[in-house]
Amino acid sequence: MDLGLKGKNAIVTGGSLGIGTSIAIELGRQGCNVAINYRKHDTEAKEVVKKIEEMGCKALAVKADVSIFKDAQNMVKAVIEKFGGLQILICNAGINWDGPIWSMSEEQWDKVINVNLKGYFNYNKAAAIVFKEQRYGKIINISSINGLRGKFAQTNYSASKGGEIALSKALAKELGRFNVNVNVVAPGMVKTDMAANIPPEFLNKAIDETVLGRIASPEDVANLVVFLCSDKARHITGEVIKIDGGQYI
Amino acid sequence: MFKWYGWVNFSPYTKVSRFANYLRGGYIMGSKCKKCGIKTFPPRADCPECMSSDFEYVEYTGKGTVHTYTKIVAAPTGFQDVAPYIVGLVDLEEGGRLVAWFGESIKEEDIKIGMPVQAVPRIFEATPDIKVYLSLEKPGASWKKMPIQDIE
Amino acid sequence: MTRVGVIGIGHGKFDRRSDATVQELAFEAFRYAMEDAKITKKELQASIVGSVPEYHKQRSLSGVIQEYLGLNPLPVWLTECACASSSAALRTAWMSIKAGLYDVVAVIGCQKMTELSTPEILALMGRVGEVQWESIYGTTFPGYYAMFAKRHMHEFGTTREQMLKVSVKNHFYGAKNPKAMFQKEITLEKALASEIVASPFCLYDCCANADGAAALILASEEKAKKLSDTPIWIDGAGCATTSMSVLRRPNLYGLPSAVEAGKQAYKMAKVEPKDIKVADVHDCFSIAEIMAYEDLGFCEKGKGGKFIEDKQSYIGGKHPVNIDGGLKAKGHPIGATGASQATEIVKQLRGEAKDRQVPDADIGLTHNVGGIGQYTFVHIFRRD
Repeated sequence: MDLGLKGKNAIVTGGSLGIGTSIAIELGRQGCNVAINYRKHDTEAKEVVKKIEEMGCKALAVKADVSIFKDAQNMVKAVIEKFGGLQILICNAGINWDGPIWSMSEEQWDKVINVNLKGYFNYNKAAAIVFKEQRYGKIINISSINGLRGKFAQTNYSASKGGEIALSKALAKELGRFNVNVNVVAPGMVKTDMAANIPPEFLNKAIDETVLGRIASPEDVANLVVFLCSDKARHITGEVIKIDGGQYI
Repeated sequence: MFKWYGWVNFSPYTKVSRFANYLRGGYIMGSKCKKCGIKTFPPRADCPECMSSDFEYVEYTGKGTVHTYTKIVAAPTGFQDVAPYIVGLVDLEEGGRLVAWFGESIKEEDIKIGMPVQAVPRIFEATPDIKVYLSLEKPGASWKKMPIQDIE
Repeated sequence: MTRVGVIGIGHGKFDRRSDATVQELAFEAFRYAMEDAKITKKELQASIVGSVPEYHKQRSLSGVIQEYLGLNPLPVWLTECACASSSAALRTAWMSIKAGLYDVVAVIGCQKMTELSTPEILALMGRVGEVQWESIYGTTFPGYYAMFAKRHMHEFGTTREQMLKVSVKNHFYGAKNPKAMFQKEITLEKALASEIVASPFCLYDCCANADGAAALILASEEKAKKLSDTPIWIDGAGCATTSMSVLRRPNLYGLPSAVEAGKQAYKMAKVEPKDIKVADVHDCFSIAEIMAYEDLGFCEKGKGGKFIEDKQSYIGGKHPVNIDGGLKAKGHPIGATGASQATEIVKQLRGEAKDRQVPDADIGLTHNVGGIGQYTFVHIFRRD
């Protein structure tokens, strides 16, 4: 099906690596102009921009810490100026910093909450103001199955991921009247850099958890996200779609 | 859904329900009788001239002049929380009149009979349910519209 | 066609009547009217009740009133035209006698407005206009007339002081009317200082809700001459509408329905505005009386403010108006107001108004408007 995304303008946070990169590139393939935000991987970020431009679309990479409120507002402004508008926001930037609670420092907690949960608030708010004014918009917040269930040594991560889900549901209620969809995609384990640091036996454990006997590629997640960005999915809002190969049913 | 229209709605069912759907999308719609061609604002399904019920919606610019107004202080039930408010009766450029609230761009002391205004479609933001209304702003006020084919 | 005469009038006290039900209020007025007419129930052939049902808990009002008045099995029905309900009842009774169907008919205007809770009453106040396109913005009864006032001030330079002088006059006469709700005079200063209700109106520009009833007994010419020494003839009756919605009114600085109803009544009674010696007009709001002077031809369009300023509507002026206190001082039990106005004019024409008597009053007029001007009834009364 033709997703009708040609000419739309999108922001993807955490777009220099993993899921974010996949989403950005797939959006480019669909004809969108894409701005990515990234924290430190300059080379990778430049690569993503190049790939999207090669597909004939505009691209932009902005170096910024998503947990800083003002930077989010400024990035949205800058993108609208450069591209001429904004219709799609994908919040994807996130970190984890695991440890059982008894050894988790205050800094460990704060940092994960600020980047993951506050970061989504920062960008969702900036985009919401634009989207409600123009009576159109798509927001997809990337969460995790660990926001739906609890994960050992991830009180901070699970809290942030669960928080993103509740935020998205509340926001869907606020923005629905303005013709804006807000949804959550909750992947299980995905073959990315975040997962690369996990010892093999834990990786196998994850594969065992799935019913499909595999873990997701970043493209799997991108395909779902890109569908949700299109008007073909216009009646889906306030929804959480797991994409985990049946890892958590 | 006509029940979206107004701070408190009293007419949930009408033959011209789509007026509210259009208003939410940013369109101010009147009606035009397909049989005799006369235009009416607010819209009505049944033509007052030739009595035909075959009508279509036509877009109005929302431009007009103030015919009269009043600031209501003693509000009826359901409106106490938003009182006081200034109700304006506006003669529309293309004919017809509308009743709406003065918006934030016009100060109370500047309101004069005969002044030009622009009616702007608005969506209430502070309530959980969908409510739409028109506010009267300075001429030149603009707003974005949904694609018309997306309106139910 | 036969002439129709008023042979009996009765008026209860208008007030917050938490001492009576609507049928008990109707009975008070009805008994006064029957005693005044000096007839028994045997003479009556029908009654018409004018009242606004939505303010009462009792459904189908006219039935319960007919029973309480002891008039079963006589026919009765309700007429409703908002604040002109009992003028509609009067016109209906008049029509039935003119048509030769009945000879003697009772007209009962009655209303309770205080049975409902305050939120219920306030909710009703927000639904006087066209509910579909206007009430959703919280328009109110004072709000509409306030908009008319603003337009009148814009067109003709009418001032707030001129409008409030109407209220001052009506309270002056209301103080002499034992049936009125408000029996104290007011000063212009006090009025100007009162709180704003809907700009430019303040408290003293607006009539008050009230409970009350008034009644009349009408008879055909033959019966009237037999039963009464001074029948007062209803020689003119006019009735017209204008669009209910202000979105489609031709102009907002007068009431087109009043102009038309007045013309009809004048034509039928074969009189002109200058012949009217005393009138009771619908002063639901101060501007309404000013517009009535103009709509009825008592003065030129736009000169209504000057008319009151020059005291032309006081006794001694060109056209004494609302010498019973009007709606402002009597209170406005909406269904009863029309009948109340008629009883006052009949009283004046009979010469029974005591310290409120307009000298040599032989032709009088009532002007009763419903809602925000969508209906007007004008009746012209004559003493031979």
